[in-house]
Amino acid sequence: MERFGISREILEKYTFFERGRKIWAFSGKYLEIGDIELIGIKALTKGRVLKPSTAFLRIVGKRASKNVIRLNYEEMLLFMKGEDIERSFPVEPGYVIVVWEEDVLGCGFYKNGVLKSQIPSKYRMQDSWI
Amino acid sequence: MEEKAIDYFRKYESIIPDFERFLASLLTPQPYWLRVNTLKISTQKLIERLLQKGFVLEQFGNLNAYKIIEKPVKHPGATLEYSLGYYYIQDLSSMAPVLALNPSNEDTVLDMAAAPGSKTTMMAELMRNEGLIVANDINFNRIKSLAGNIERLGITDVILTQKDARVASFGLKFSKILLDAPCSGEGVYRKNPWGFKGVDERQHRYLGMQQMRMLKNASNHLEEGGIIVYSTCTYHPYENESVVKYAIEKLNLAPIKVKIPIPHIVGVDRWKDETYEFHEDCIRIYPHMVDTGGMFIAVLAKE
Repeated sequence: MERFGISREILEKYTFFERGRKIWAFSGKYLEIGDIELIGIKALTKGRVLKPSTAFLRIVGKRASKNVIRLNYEEMLLFMKGEDIERSFPVEPGYVIVVWEEDVLGCGFYKNGVLKSQIPSKYRMQDSWI
Repeated sequence: MEEKAIDYFRKYESIIPDFERFLASLLTPQPYWLRVNTLKISTQKLIERLLQKGFVLEQFGNLNAYKIIEKPVKHPGATLEYSLGYYYIQDLSSMAPVLALNPSNEDTVLDMAAAPGSKTTMMAELMRNEGLIVANDINFNRIKSLAGNIERLGITDVILTQKDARVASFGLKFSKILLDAPCSGEGVYRKNPWGFKGVDERQHRYLGMQQMRMLKNASNHLEEGGIIVYSTCTYHPYENESVVKYAIEKLNLAPIKVKIPIPHIVGVDRWKDETYEFHEDCIRIYPHMVDTGGMFIAVLAKE
């Protein structure tokens, strides 16, 4: 979360659990229970670089101080439909936090003047939505 | 189909007050209710946004419960705000068991049959994402929908398990347990009249026996001084008061009278050859009382 300037204090309330390629964030009181299916919510996926999840960014993203992209209304609609946005933004290439007004929309990937939506299909807006 | 339904529910004429109004309510579609996810947004901000979009909402008392009177979209979840996890579509009657349990961030809570997660996520909201909720369900597909709702609402104090609530060990004792038991679902008839399949007396008995097994297992996992909220969304006493009677007589649990801010009446005092002396400690919510689904609730303590 250093990439986003999110302070350690914000993250201190979470315990992070690694399972396979995924890292889960849990804010509850951890007690030993057998046969756990899931704990907390998915925060990161390991790859060449760590990919933050939209769900986790929607929780901690308001506290980010860098690599945040702010969209206008029309861009927000496109982003939430999973479409690319071609515009130059003052951020480092890589994963970014995408925001519209006070809403943290989720994770995007920015490179060469193109913002690619990383919003999971289950959260994407459809044409009939408002 | 409506006539068939009315015939089916006639068996409750002796226990449901104002029965003709009850029957009439079954023929009207159940309105949607929503709960603001205050973990993510303030109530005032969300309500303003939805009103601006053309929703007409009516708050119930001082509760975080809003009846959707009018909506500008076909489904009340077809909004940006829903995608962002700012609200949850949850019937007012479904909020009642959580209000009866009254969980706090000091609690360790077991939700034994949790999917799809309306009560789990409401408890997490009341607990401010602290404490611990172990949310269990036996069915993998239902667990997936539970996980999806937990993720959308930004709930981070929940551990999910997939176990058989009748026999499973959860490895620790809990201060509060919610057993919103699988049941014949008569109270959700208005939500989906086309999918409703009534059951006969023998099946009510069978479901009641399964619910007793779950309640026995819940009792085994309850700390001394802890409480269990037993609830169903059905009307038949075999799945409700009879199960509570079993808990009192065989599990040594004590019924507690609780107040909830949702209109209700007490439980039934007899059904066929069974009597229920504790019926005044039980809660029944019917659809014709506040335009909701139906619900049964009992609070049981281990003393």
